[in-house]
Amino acid sequence: MKNPEEAADGKQRIHLRPGSLRGAAPAKLHLLPCDVLVSRPAPVDRFFTPAVRHDADGLQASFRGRGLRGEEVAVPPGFAGFVMVTEEKGEGLIGKLNFSGDAEDKADEAQEPLERDFDRLIGATGSFSHFTLWGLETVPGPDAKVHRALGWPSLAAAIHAQVPED
Amino acid sequence: MAGGRDRGDLAARQLVFLLPEHLKDASKKKKKSSLLFVKLANPHSGEGATYLIDMCLQQLFEIKVFKEKHHSWFINQSVQSGGLLHFATPMDPLFLLLHYLLKAGKEGKYQPLDQVVVDDTFPDCTLLLRFPELEKSLRHVTEEKEVNSKKYYKYSSEKTLKWLEKKVNQTVVALKANNVNVGARVQSSAYFSGGQVSRDKEEDYVRYAHGLISDYIPKELSDDLSKFLKLPEPPASLTNPPSKKLKLSDEPVEAKEDYTKFNTKDLKTGKKNSKMTAAQKALAKVDKSGMKSIDAFFGAKNKKTGKI
Repeated sequence: MKNPEEAADGKQRIHLRPGSLRGAAPAKLHLLPCDVLVSRPAPVDRFFTPAVRHDADGLQASFRGRGLRGEEVAVPPGFAGFVMVTEEKGEGLIGKLNFSGDAEDKADEAQEPLERDFDRLIGATGSFSHFTLWGLETVPGPDAKVHRALGWPSLAAAIHAQVPED
Repeated sequence: MAGGRDRGDLAARQLVFLLPEHLKDASKKKKKSSLLFVKLANPHSGEGATYLIDMCLQQLFEIKVFKEKHHSWFINQSVQSGGLLHFATPMDPLFLLLHYLLKAGKEGKYQPLDQVVVDDTFPDCTLLLRFPELEKSLRHVTEEKEVNSKKYYKYSSEKTLKWLEKKVNQTVVALKANNVNVGARVQSSAYFSGGQVSRDKEEDYVRYAHGLISDYIPKELSDDLSKFLKLPEPPASLTNPPSKKLKLSDEPVEAKEDYTKFNTKDLKTGKKNSKMTAAQKALAKVDKSGMKSIDAFFGAKNKKTGKI
């Protein structure tokens, strides 16, 4: 028998908090070429940012004694970058998502409401249009896998475009 | 976040997402949430996968995760383990409906749509029925008839294969436009005429595009599509190299390998395993569930198209 957590997982919806995409403050992101095994606050601006040097050869920095070479990578056109955080479980949603008493909302009530008690929220805490990609000792260059990954949206657009009429 | 309580691994996980830009405005007009992440059946595997739905624009988005070994994020004044990059890209919802039409199609009779799209495991599939545009596109994969102003649908494999062929063709156009390397073969121009190279390349493009489309359809349908596209089977000589005759000898059999090597390997393997901390294991579990790795897009297809 499935445990309640798993059963709920298949039916649980995660709502994107309205307005959080538009209101997300700019965020500074670096993609490091190494494993950091924890996720936690870190004094990036105090120790990493001041060590970043920009010279004729591009961006240089060091992390734990290892040399890093970097380049700025832009988010693909038509897309925006966001840092998203899921909010804690357990908070009831009823009433929370209905931020206004618009008449429009009444029309939605004709159908089953999208929000249920056991749903969760996710919101954007930061936005970005580019990030710094770091390579260990060498510049990542055009062959870096992340560049191929960033080409995925345009391929996806072709696969999922409506087919032409006969 | 500065000066906040140090919660270590208990800090809320930050997801790095790329979303279509217009979704910013989607949440502007209405204050009610219209963007939902839901679990739906992956049309290729049938297993659960996470999708994003915009109920106002009536748009479906596929979530793909790009993951590269040994990467992490600095995000403002924090570090995020794993280095994952999530993509939400528009997805043709007809692929999801096709999953249910194929099941219902086995009965071979006309049915109303609300009886076709039924799933106890992923009940949110019914949200797709709120997309009026989707019903119009059903003609690509079904025969339909109307009785008392109500519509009934029956799966049509002929129509579906034609629709998928068009999908493959528009994917080929995009592959060429993006200069995706579809063939692993190294060809010397001295040995081939331009025409032959062009023809072989064309087949590689079609095969690659077929592989991409196959991520959204069951294997059975993928095989049917391969035949429909007249993709040739891989040459038999490559898959079945001639087997060598077993050499028989009168000499007594002697051990040729030092089996203590395996013990050494086991020890090394053990060391490797012990390096993975509990945090990394937990992260690996979390990251993989419900999301398809984009590595499959790059790695697997290259293997398929590679030729020795």
